[in-house]
This record gives sequence, C-alpha cells and structure tokens, in this order.
Amino acid sequence: MDAIARFWGVGRAAALMLLPAMAALATVSVYPVIEGLWLSFRNTSLIFRTDKFIGLGNYIALMGNDKFWNAWRNTIEFTVLSTALETALGLGMALVLYEAFAGRGVVRAAMLIPWAIPTVVTSKMFGWLFDGQNGIVNYLLRAAGVIQDNINWYGSTDHALLTIVIADVWKTTPFMALLLLAGLQTIPHSLAEASTIDGANAWQRFWMIRLPLLLPTLLIAAMFRTLDAFRIFDLVYVLTGGGPADSTEVLSTLTYKTMFSTLQFGVGSAMSTAMFATEIVIAIGFAVFIGRRLPMGG
Amino acid sequence: MDKQIKGGANTPGSGLRRRDFLAGSAAVAGAAATGAFTLPKRVYAASKAEITFASAKFFAKDSMNEVIDKYNSSQSAVHVTYTELPPPSSSTEVHQQLVQMLASKSGSPDVFTQDIVWIAEFAEAGWALPLAQYFSADDMKAYFPGIVQGCTWNGALTAHPWFVDSGMLFYRKDILDKIGAKVPETWDDLVAAAMKGMGGDTKFGMLWQGKQAEVLVCDLVSFVGSNGGSILAPDGKTVKIADPEAIAAVQLMYDTINKHKITPADVLSWDEEPSRRPFVAGQSVFLRNWSYTWATAQDKSTSQVVDKVGVAPLPHFAGKSSAACLGGYQFGVNAASKEKDAAIDFLKYLSTPETQLHFAVTQGLAPTRQEVFDSADLGKANPFMQSLKSVFVGALPRPVTPQYPQVSLVLQSQVSKALSSGDIEGSLKAAKDQIDQILAG
Repeated sequence: MDAIARFWGVGRAAALMLLPAMAALATVSVYPVIEGLWLSFRNTSLIFRTDKFIGLGNYIALMGNDKFWNAWRNTIEFTVLSTALETALGLGMALVLYEAFAGRGVVRAAMLIPWAIPTVVTSKMFGWLFDGQNGIVNYLLRAAGVIQDNINWYGSTDHALLTIVIADVWKTTPFMALLLLAGLQTIPHSLAEASTIDGANAWQRFWMIRLPLLLPTLLIAAMFRTLDAFRIFDLVYVLTGGGPADSTEVLSTLTYKTMFSTLQFGVGSAMSTAMFATEIVIAIGFAVFIGRRLPMGG
Repeated sequence: MDKQIKGGANTPGSGLRRRDFLAGSAAVAGAAATGAFTLPKRVYAASKAEITFASAKFFAKDSMNEVIDKYNSSQSAVHVTYTELPPPSSSTEVHQQLVQMLASKSGSPDVFTQDIVWIAEFAEAGWALPLAQYFSADDMKAYFPGIVQGCTWNGALTAHPWFVDSGMLFYRKDILDKIGAKVPETWDDLVAAAMKGMGGDTKFGMLWQGKQAEVLVCDLVSFVGSNGGSILAPDGKTVKIADPEAIAAVQLMYDTINKHKITPADVLSWDEEPSRRPFVAGQSVFLRNWSYTWATAQDKSTSQVVDKVGVAPLPHFAGKSSAACLGGYQFGVNAASKEKDAAIDFLKYLSTPETQLHFAVTQGLAPTRQEVFDSADLGKANPFMQSLKSVFVGALPRPVTPQYPQVSLVLQSQVSKALSSGDIEGSLKAAKDQIDQILAG
C-alpha cells in the first residue's frame, strides 16, 4: 500500500514536471501537424474567403494532378541520386580520412566548410559556377577539351535536375563522410590487424571486415540523408524556381507555391500531408531493413 | 580608411582624443537613453493617431525614411512607423508577408505597397479598403488612365497609384550605327539587326527572361500583346492564350533561340539580373528589361556600355502595335485599419506632386501623375525617364483576375514547356484548358 501510494506520488510529480515540455511540444509540433491534416480535408482559400469541409476531395484531386506526380517523381529522382552519390563518395572520403597522414586534422576540419555554408549561399555560388555562358565550369570543360559547346546547365530539361544534384552532393558529402568516419573509428583495430596477419589484402579488409561492421552506421546515415533530401527546397527555389518546364519542380517548391502564392491552403496541406506520408513510408522501409539485417536488440 | 589610420597614429594627442571620443560616446548613449525615457510613444497615443506603413524595399531605405520623417514632422495628428519588406526582386516573399499581415486582420500595416498584379486578389479577399469615398473620379483624372484602371477591381477603386514601370527594349547605339541599322520597330527588323550585329565579343543578339517565374509572364505579355493577342479577354473570363496570335508570338520567342539563334538557350533559366549582366558587359545587341537597367548601364564602375545604350518601346509584329508589360507598385489601405482617416491622410501625402517628384528624382520611380511626369523639374533631373512616356502609355496589364497567382503559375509552367519542347500549340492549349478550369473555379 505504502509503496503504491509513494509510486503514485512520484508519478504525479513526474507528470507535473513533464507538463511544460509536453505543452511546448504540443503547441509547436503536434498542433501544427493536426491543423495541417485538418486543413487538408477542407476547401480553404483566403482569396475567396471559402472554408468548408470536403472530406477527401483534395486528395482525390491530387491523384489526378499531373503536376503533383511530376513533382513527386522529381523528388524521388533527386533523393535517390543524391543520397546514393553522397553515400558512395562519403564512404570513400571517410576511408581516406581514417588513414594517418600529415595534416589530417586540418583536412578533417576543412572538409566541413561546404556543409557549414548556408544553402542559399551555396545556391548562388553554383548559379555562378554553372552559368551556361560565362560560368567557370563550362570554361574549364572547354579548356580541357571535354566539350565543344557550352552546356546549358540550368536552362535545359536534360541537365537542370542533375546540376542541382551536383550542388547538393558538393554540399552534403562531407557530412556523410564525417558520420561514416565516426562509425569507422568504433571498429576495433585488432580485427584489421588480425586479418592482415591472416594474409588479407586491403580490398578484402575493407569488404569482409570494415564494411559489414560499418553497415549499421551506413544505413542510419543513409536514412537521415534520404529523409533530408526528400525535403529539398532552397537549392531548387533559388537556382531554377522549378523550371525549365517543371523539370526541377519538387514537392516542397510546389507546396510552397500552392500555399503562399495561390493561397489555396486546403490543396497545399493535402500536398504536404502526402509528402509526410511518403517520408513515413521511406522511414519504415529503412527501419524494417535495418531491423532485419542487424538484430540490434533493445 | 588608410589616411585616417595614419593620421591617428602620427598625432601626438591621439590617446587623449580616444578618451574624448569614449566620453563623447558615453554622453551620446546617455542622451539616447534619457531621450527614450522622456519621449515614450504613449505620449503620441494620447494626441496622435499611430499608423504603420509597410513597403517593399526600393533602393535606399533612408530615402523612404526621409519621406516618412518629413510627414511626421509636418503635422501633429498622425505618426507613421515604417516596416520594410524584402525588395521587389523577391516579390513572392513580399506577397507572403503582406498576406500574413493582412489575413490576420490586426489592422497593421495601415498603409502598404503592392505589386499591381495583386490588386484584384487583395480586393477580392476583402483586405483592401475601397477608396472611392476618399478619392473622387475627378481626383483620379490627374493620373495616367491605364494605372487607375489597374487600381480598380470590379468597378471599385481599391488601390491608389504610386509609380509605373514597364518592360522595354535596350539597344546598343554603337552597334546599330556600325551596321547601319535603325532602331527596330518590328520583330523582323530586330531579328535582322541582331543577326548582323552579333560577332566577336557580342555573343548574343537579343536577351530576354525565360525562367519559370513571374518574369516569364511579363515577357509573354509583351510578345503576345505585340501581335494583337492577349492572355485573357477584357471580360476576365475568356482565355485567349491558345489563339493564333498568341501561338505565333510564343513561336517567335522559341525561334529567337532555335531558329534565328540570336538568343542563348540559357535564357530559359534567366530572370532579370542574369540577362542584364551580359548586356552591360557588352555581350549583346538587344535586351528586354525594366527601366532600372538604364542606371546600371551608365554606371562606369560596372558597365562596359556607358553612353552606348538607347531605349525604345519593344518591337511589334508587322501591322500591329508595340506592347509592354505594365508593372510597378501601388498603394493600398488595410480594410481592417483602426485609423482609416489617418491612413488616408498619409496616403494623400505620399501622392502629392511634390512627393511623387521626390520619389522620381531620388529613387528613380516613375510618377503616375501626368503633370509630374511632364514637368520641367523631372525633365531636368531625369530626362531619360521623361523619354519613356511612350513606353509607359502603351504598357499592358497582366491578366486582371483575383485568381491571377494560379493563372500565372499555369502560364509559367506551360510556356516554359512550350519553349523547352517546341510543342507550342500543344502546351498553350493545355494552358488554356487549365486556366479555363481555374476561372470556372
């Protein structure tokens, strides 16, 4: 009896102390999500002062909306390409930085610079670098004899999304490299040493020892990166505005335009909810995969 | 900078000076602090109407503050506080911030400035105060009729003219002289002159803006209008973007890139600045842009074409007349304002001939009052602006409808598709279908 009463008292005190944090979370996180969901079931337009419940109307309209699916496809394409490149390059960089060489500390620190630059600044910078007429990238490629004519990086539907992927890879690979470097450092040296004594070469050491042990870190880093890449906004918004011909329109930019240019809050909320749903599917996919491959316990 | 540092180090009494300086700045800080305490804003509230004014940032902020300070000290009934919004080049952000403030119905800002294309939208949403009871039809006769029409929605005056701008043709006088060409009046003339004038450092014949953004609609209006076409009929309901005139005009935009090769395909990702820079660097014969280009072309520190640039109305199709896209910001009064009379009083001050002249001379914003535009004062201060009258008078508004933002997004996407793919008729027909659907709403 005494114990239960005491526990109840402690529980109440704990609940009371948690209350401010819960209230804060509810206001800034739970409420907006629910409000967004609620709006997605309504026909809300600020301009025409309409606001009525239409059930799944916005979602049904979205199903037949080519622009939405085009943006959805572009977002997936961007996410897959950029995450794959960033993971592969990041792994390479991490392996190099793991080895001891003179000036390693400086290189490790310097590597973070691209990641630390605000994305809008990166966007402007890449706008200049990849300018189709007076940009230095075309100049260098021409000087090296790789291309004859200037490449129209942003103005052509063939390259625009790819150029944005390049900018994102430049910016985010160092971050991936650091995450993976941290993972590498947790692998005991003795394993690599033992395999060397057993006669394993460098490739075998990487493929049979380090990579399998790095896999949990790799998968979790890739999941974070995928979810983050899926929300791509600033690079597209600054560099191309979604063009040319919608070839770089992604879900975030389309949602932003629908909500804040045309003030159709209902449709816009349905779009962002659909985006949210896709992200959850991606996250669950990763979680299941990680859980299957690596029974981590807990 | 250098001189000051040297002077400080060589002067024997520099240490003392620094102490003086420190003492002085302490005194200033103290004065500022007491000033803040002895002049609280509540004192105004008892006797003065407090209103706020939100405007997109045009050039120097001080210039706008100067006007507001002058108003604040010129009378004792109203006190205005200024809220600065992003510059017009970030018009989506300006729009977003205005919408957030107006939709909250808090009454602030009392007076605001708006892009001419938002007027119908803000009026339909009930955010803009109808102004007919404060300004009579006779009052409005002082302004250019086109701009007054642009400030009117559904027969009601819901905005007040501030300044006018429009797209225009910038050309290289030296190149036209060299090839013996006249300033082009038709697009055929322009294509011929551009092809002849290109070569060497002059890599391009004609630059315009094709980025999938609002500016593409502005360029579209000029091309389509110069062939006697339009996006919407004056009734605001009939969509004319897939009519033969419009198709031929967009075909011409496509041809400048792919057939005549006077325009680089890069314009499909260029808005105003990326297209202006090559022109002032001397790389192009012609450029379509807004009036601000003029001042930047005359700036010796960045421009290679000082004194080599001329301005004319944009060309037109044979037998049709020139059209430019009407732009500029106009005033509005918040319908939820708690100090409407004060807001109107301030608005009247902003629109006096003297203030309009001040904006024209210090900020390069072209007056909407006809007498100010024609005045000798303006002629002396800015003869270039006065020479633009024919351009401004021929300027066409973008489609006037409260659904403009939606219509604009469709046009941006479909015209960008037409220009990228070459399937002009198909893309414009798709645009018409989508706009029909929006207007049926």
